Amino acid sequence: MGTATRADAVPAWHQRRVRIYDREAPLGYFLLLPTLVVLGIFLLYPFLFGIWLSITDSELGNVGKFIGLGNYRFEFRNTDGVFYGAVINTFLYTGVTTVFKLSLGLVMALLLNQIFPFRRFVRAALLLPYIIPTVLSYEAWRWMFDPTFSVINWLLVNTHLVHYPGPNWLGVPANAMAALMIVNVWRGTPFYAISFLAGMQVIPVDLYEAARVDGASRRQQFINITLPLLRPVLLVVLLLSTILTFADFQGPFVLTNGAPYNSTQLLSIWAYQWGIPGGAIGLGAAISLVLFPLLTIVVAVVLFMLRRPE
Amino acid sequence: MPRAKKRAKSGWSRRKFLQTAGVAVATMAFPEILISCGPQSNSTPTATIPKPRKGASIRLLQWTSFVKPADAEFKRQAAEWGDANGVTVAIETVTGDQLQPKTAAAVEASSGPDIIQMQYGWPQLYTDSCLDVSNEVNILIGKLGKPDPVNEAFCKVNGTWRAIPYTVVPNAWTYRTDYFQQAGVSSFPTTWDELTAAAAKLKTTSKPISQTDGHAYGDSLTMWNPVLWGFGGKEVNADGKTVAINSKETRDAIKWAQGAVQAGFVVHPEWLDPDNNQAYHANRISGTLNGASIYIREKIEFHKYTDVTNNAPMPSGPKGTFAMNLIFNHAVMKWSPDAETAKAMLLALMEKDQYQKWTMIAAGYNAGPFESLHNDPVFASDPKLKAFQDVVAPGKWPGWPAMPSKKTAQAQTQYIVADMFAKALANGGTGDIEAAISAAETSLKAIFERP
Repeated sequence: MGTATRADAVPAWHQRRVRIYDREAPLGYFLLLPTLVVLGIFLLYPFLFGIWLSITDSELGNVGKFIGLGNYRFEFRNTDGVFYGAVINTFLYTGVTTVFKLSLGLVMALLLNQIFPFRRFVRAALLLPYIIPTVLSYEAWRWMFDPTFSVINWLLVNTHLVHYPGPNWLGVPANAMAALMIVNVWRGTPFYAISFLAGMQVIPVDLYEAARVDGASRRQQFINITLPLLRPVLLVVLLLSTILTFADFQGPFVLTNGAPYNSTQLLSIWAYQWGIPGGAIGLGAAISLVLFPLLTIVVAVVLFMLRRPE
Repeated sequence: MPRAKKRAKSGWSRRKFLQTAGVAVATMAFPEILISCGPQSNSTPTATIPKPRKGASIRLLQWTSFVKPADAEFKRQAAEWGDANGVTVAIETVTGDQLQPKTAAAVEASSGPDIIQMQYGWPQLYTDSCLDVSNEVNILIGKLGKPDPVNEAFCKVNGTWRAIPYTVVPNAWTYRTDYFQQAGVSSFPTTWDELTAAAAKLKTTSKPISQTDGHAYGDSLTMWNPVLWGFGGKEVNADGKTVAINSKETRDAIKWAQGAVQAGFVVHPEWLDPDNNQAYHANRISGTLNGASIYIREKIEFHKYTDVTNNAPMPSGPKGTFAMNLIFNHAVMKWSPDAETAKAMLLALMEKDQYQKWTMIAAGYNAGPFESLHNDPVFASDPKLKAFQDVVAPGKWPGWPAMPSKKTAQAQTQYIVADMFAKALANGGTGDIEAAISAAETSLKAIFERP
């Protein structure tokens, strides 16, 4: 009896321990458990609660009853243009800022990847927009865009680039949207740059040396070595940034709060206006979830591209 | 009849003397009688004075006043009351725009401060989270007289008081007398048409009369609602259901605004509440509509333009004079473990002598919400403050003539009236009036016709 012989030879406590380590799957799940609990409490529960709120007529302080897709129908059938304007603005805001953040982040990372004096200091300084408390930095930008006290306009006027008093940054629809985008790009670019820099620093140097020996130009090195090897980082950063920009609230809220006349209204602010000051938390939740199916597709595409072989 | 004449002159008869003496004796013996005979006595026949619990802790959340010493005095009075009654009192102040998110979070979590300052129609939004304070309001009515109609409209939800009237922040015009004289305008306009004429003259000084038409939660509402009402316009009928913005009166109001802007009145869609204050203190404008804080800060802090600053009440429109002031009240929240103590504290802070100490330190920024607090000595202390006293009576609330409701609150927080004016005032006051009204009408219908 082989089994009996083995059991006799190995002490019981040792036998159990080996069995746990031998079965990787249960151990893996066991080790994942704390993370899953944290994610469940802080991500899954609020998300599911948000979905549930969006299909009820809940108001602040009052649990509502199930109304199916009533909140979604209300917004999609509303013809005042604010909701559809907010959808368009949200896409525009996310699309334009993402393109700028991506390009500027890449350029900054390439520059910072070079060897130059005080490079560590410069790299650290790059994170300043990220370190300053969000609302404080947006208040500073508000002051810079203020038509009465604008330091930007003062510079533009005194360098004779524009006539006095200069552009009304936050008072004209197109300018206000541009101002929101500028601030978002200012704040978001360091995240791209630092992530790209981290990605670039793990690319083996001998690849570039070999390319140089073969006579490859800087441009060829960038296109054939840097970009392909940076792809995983690039896609993850792009994914995260797109999601965060879609849901951006603080900056637009502090800078314009949707003004002038809802021309800078974004879905996040519109959801807030209905849900918090308006008390219709169910409708607010529905507005904030409107783009969820679309974002799911974006995430799926990016994840598919990440898994795809070179 | 000489005897009758004599009696009429003195105003006393034997019967009247006996009646008065009887009431006085009974009142001394049973003070609740006096309270129950107040103007609102029919809702609560008797009143019970709440008693503080020794050892209790009370947290009160309210906005940070633009007049800092007023907050310090409020905290001092609360702490003094707490010490006298063995209650720990914590007053937390946050900026105006942070107050509602914090309130909403507390309401949703059913936890937080025992007392929260309710601005505008919040008692309508958070009714179930605000305790019934009819008893306490009736006590105050017995002592201080009738409440201000706007405070009453906001505090009373379906006949039940859900907040205790606290204060009115009157909004009037603050202007530079030197620039007005320079432009040949001898006094502040008393009608909207005169304001247009004055704006045209002040254009020559390059210090315009200016106001926000953006998403400023105070200044935008206090400007454009009274303009609309002054020309007879309204968002919704008194029934609170029928949207009535698309009217000749609304067109008249917008046409006036366009004329004013074309003449030289400058509107700023990008301004939030502090921006007109800053522009005035920085000598960029000659006049603006605001709470008394601009004048008070000039007087007690900056001292740059105090002598050439004056204040004026709201101009009149063809349909009368209207104003909109900031209205603050205090609600005792349902989750408070010491609601009786919280109510007792609020009553103590509303005692006339306490209250007027506070309004005196607030220097005219606040006005009392009860009849006997209307002639506050602070307004007599400086003739320039009279304008702020004068705008209390014509004050109305957003959504008027409909009573405040969740729907009027939603229309207010979406800046529908201000946005309507802002659209029409775009491009130097040449925006499309019909498009502006149509957008406002659609937005209002979405709110008022929503089940």
